[in-house]
Amino acid sequence: MSDKLEAYYGLPNEVKFCKKCVISNQRPSSTIEFKSEIGEKKKVINFNEEGVCSACVYHAEKETGIDWNDRDGKLRELLAKFRSDDGSYDVIVPGSGGKDSAFTAHVLKYKYGMNPLTVTWAPHLYTSIGWENMQEWMHTGGLDNILYTPNGILHKEMTKNAFHNLLHPFQPFIVGQRIIGPAMAKKFGVKLVMYGENQAEYGNSIEENTNPIMNMDFFSSEDALSMKFGGVSMQEYIGAGKYTKDDFAPYIAPEKQDLIATGVEVHYLGYYLKWDPQECYYYSVDNTGFQANPVRTEGTYSKYSSIDDKIDPFHYLTTLIKFGIGRCTYDAAQEVRNDKITRDEAAYLVDKYDTEFPDIYFKEFLEYIDTTEDEFWSTIDKHRSPHIWKKAGGEWKLRHTVAKTGVDD
Amino acid sequence: MKIAIIDFDIGNVRSILSAFENQGANVCLTNDKNEILESNGVILPGVGAFSHGMDSLNKYGLIEVIKEYTESNRPFMGICLGMQMLFEEGDEFGKTKGLGLIPGRVVKLPTKDSQNEKLPHVSWNELNSKDIQWSGTVLEGVKEASDMYFVHSYVAEPDNTYILSTTEYSSYNFCSSVKLGNIYGCQFHPEKSGKNGLKIVKNFIRMCENE
Amino acid sequence: MNKIRVIARVDVKNEFVIKGIHLEGLRKVGNPNEMALDYYNNEIDEIIFMDAVAAYYDRNSLSELIRKACVNVFIPITVGGGIRTIDDIKNTLKSGADKVAINTKAVQDPDFISQSKKIFGSQCIVSSIEAKAIGGGKWEVYTDNGREPTGKDVIEWAKYVEELGAGEILLTSIDKEGTKKGFDVELYQSVASIVSIPIIASGGMGKSDDAVQLIKRANVDAIAIASVLHYKLESIQKIKDTLVRNQIKVRL
Repeated sequence: MSDKLEAYYGLPNEVKFCKKCVISNQRPSSTIEFKSEIGEKKKVINFNEEGVCSACVYHAEKETGIDWNDRDGKLRELLAKFRSDDGSYDVIVPGSGGKDSAFTAHVLKYKYGMNPLTVTWAPHLYTSIGWENMQEWMHTGGLDNILYTPNGILHKEMTKNAFHNLLHPFQPFIVGQRIIGPAMAKKFGVKLVMYGENQAEYGNSIEENTNPIMNMDFFSSEDALSMKFGGVSMQEYIGAGKYTKDDFAPYIAPEKQDLIATGVEVHYLGYYLKWDPQECYYYSVDNTGFQANPVRTEGTYSKYSSIDDKIDPFHYLTTLIKFGIGRCTYDAAQEVRNDKITRDEAAYLVDKYDTEFPDIYFKEFLEYIDTTEDEFWSTIDKHRSPHIWKKAGGEWKLRHTVAKTGVDD
Repeated sequence: MKIAIIDFDIGNVRSILSAFENQGANVCLTNDKNEILESNGVILPGVGAFSHGMDSLNKYGLIEVIKEYTESNRPFMGICLGMQMLFEEGDEFGKTKGLGLIPGRVVKLPTKDSQNEKLPHVSWNELNSKDIQWSGTVLEGVKEASDMYFVHSYVAEPDNTYILSTTEYSSYNFCSSVKLGNIYGCQFHPEKSGKNGLKIVKNFIRMCENE
Repeated sequence: MNKIRVIARVDVKNEFVIKGIHLEGLRKVGNPNEMALDYYNNEIDEIIFMDAVAAYYDRNSLSELIRKACVNVFIPITVGGGIRTIDDIKNTLKSGADKVAINTKAVQDPDFISQSKKIFGSQCIVSSIEAKAIGGGKWEVYTDNGREPTGKDVIEWAKYVEELGAGEILLTSIDKEGTKKGFDVELYQSVASIVSIPIIASGGMGKSDDAVQLIKRANVDAIAIASVLHYKLESIQKIKDTLVRNQIKVRL
């Protein structure tokens, strides 16, 4: 190819795949979601000179370079600092009752003797297995929970905007989900918030992994009105006349100064314990009544990961469209790093499942975002970056796949 | 000293080979007439239908070879279908002639109540000697009521003289092993019956060494 | 009543034994040949090797493993996972297996069972059925290692595979397997009431009493156990002793 193809979002022109796992160099890093702009340039996962992604580099470090006994000691010190002695909650665990939060909350309570309050930012639309697992988390896992469901009218509109403007329907959800931990901590007078795995493990800059504390920028804001949802600022929503600032209460991030003053700290359990998502599955089945998805999850080969939201498959569909990688790539990359499958096996699975269209909840998704099928495809196609997609024989095909089956491979 | 295992495209012979090797024998898998006739011991394996088994033996021209070998009185053992084919006739898929080396017929295992006694008879079951002497036979040293692995729907009905052991299934005592001179038959699979089965394999090997 | 067979179910991925829950998860628990030999030495009655990822990778690859196992494990060996053609069966038996377990292919093409039975005999053909409870006393047949629903009713399917000529049924409860919370007794009661070929119950055993509860209430012929052995929750000896104490005959 003599001419360089245009790459949307400022993504790297050349599509490369990690030599160790199956993730591509198009994978975006975590961002401060409520600042997401339309068409903004994405920061992506780093590949070193050997062509290995930072998540794999971090994983190698996890295996040999970290003294986990020491980290456990640090965890105990931390928890000792916050543990209550009067029966009040002493740690907030945000989560949906999926394997990661189920593990986190249960282990904090039953192994480390804390008194957690789990808080859930409701999925857009609960799947039945998701709801059952959530309930079991309490009924069998023996934990307390607050389920926070934001105003659906606003949430749907924000999701619709996020889909069409950013092709990132989950953006408003992620804003709320990140804020709820610290927000609930403030309300309940709890100072410690504990998440499970550090997202940095999946490819943010390595330095973020040496820090157990979540960057406050993710969940605090100086100026609420400038927060963007689906590429539209709160000010603009209010200005259009349908909503007032009251409606945005769930999304208004606590002020940084406030949090610092109250001494709220947000940590990742994944910094202190050697994390293995599949082992969280086993643990949660054994301890919190978790059940895997009865059927294979669309777009992947597994049944245990991210199964509680009907809209979830569409998040992965949009990563496939924008970055050329779908749910299977994410699942498989994680399992390669954690030594469950080989890279060859992962490539085979990605080839088999990554581009599977999520049919089961398609109609419900369209209804949720008040969009017709034509409008859906029109938006999708607008976001296909030329350096990732090519129209061949009337169909859109990936130029490059990890199994080297792309039209340009 | 060499033991030949007859190869006629039927059944899992690898386990039989392994079992004999495990017990120290020099074994080969063959359907070559000379190789068989020159062996110190011969094993006739087999799973599946009587008629298929006989057809296959016929196809490989082995029927006369086996008869010739057994005339020399050297040790010979039929396992499962291999035992059934030693007899005169079998009922599976219509009447089929067997090797006729031992008087008797092969019939379907009678079961009283198909709910509780299913077919095929797939299970570990006990060998009973009644008053039969096992010393000097392939069952020497095998404890009374030892469990062996059975999987079959048909059984042999020999003359009492030749019965070496009986086994009970569905309140019916069937013949689980036979002996006529140095010709033996085991309805069960000694190569699949754990350490008890290996005793039988070892006994057969010793017999071949002594001949 | 037959002696109940106590069978070790060994799920294999490449060179490892793995153990999942609800047929999900690839946690490594040991080496297949070592574990098979260990169970054989401790008087297990039979071994079932299942290629746990045959469905993922559209392959089957246990031949080498079986060949090694046959060298020192002298009890019946059944092999399943990715058995799709007559050649697959031939090669598997040639490697040393006594029986093959077939699921996905049979659902896609039921005639495969009758063909296989004609060539190899019923005693070699085990119909493997993965059952998921769907309420109202019904179970649905799944394929591809518990991933794909088929819309078929387990009871009807079990009856059908018997007619087609399967010699035994390996019946796995997806809901219970790997949970160590006991067997789905109703499942086995329902299927046992309409088929007359042997049934191997698989999925859920966590302690000896689970087996007693099942066998006393459902007419099964064998139990296939995994977690309880792989995680060393109980020894084979203890399981058999418990069964005997409860008037259930086993090979000792």
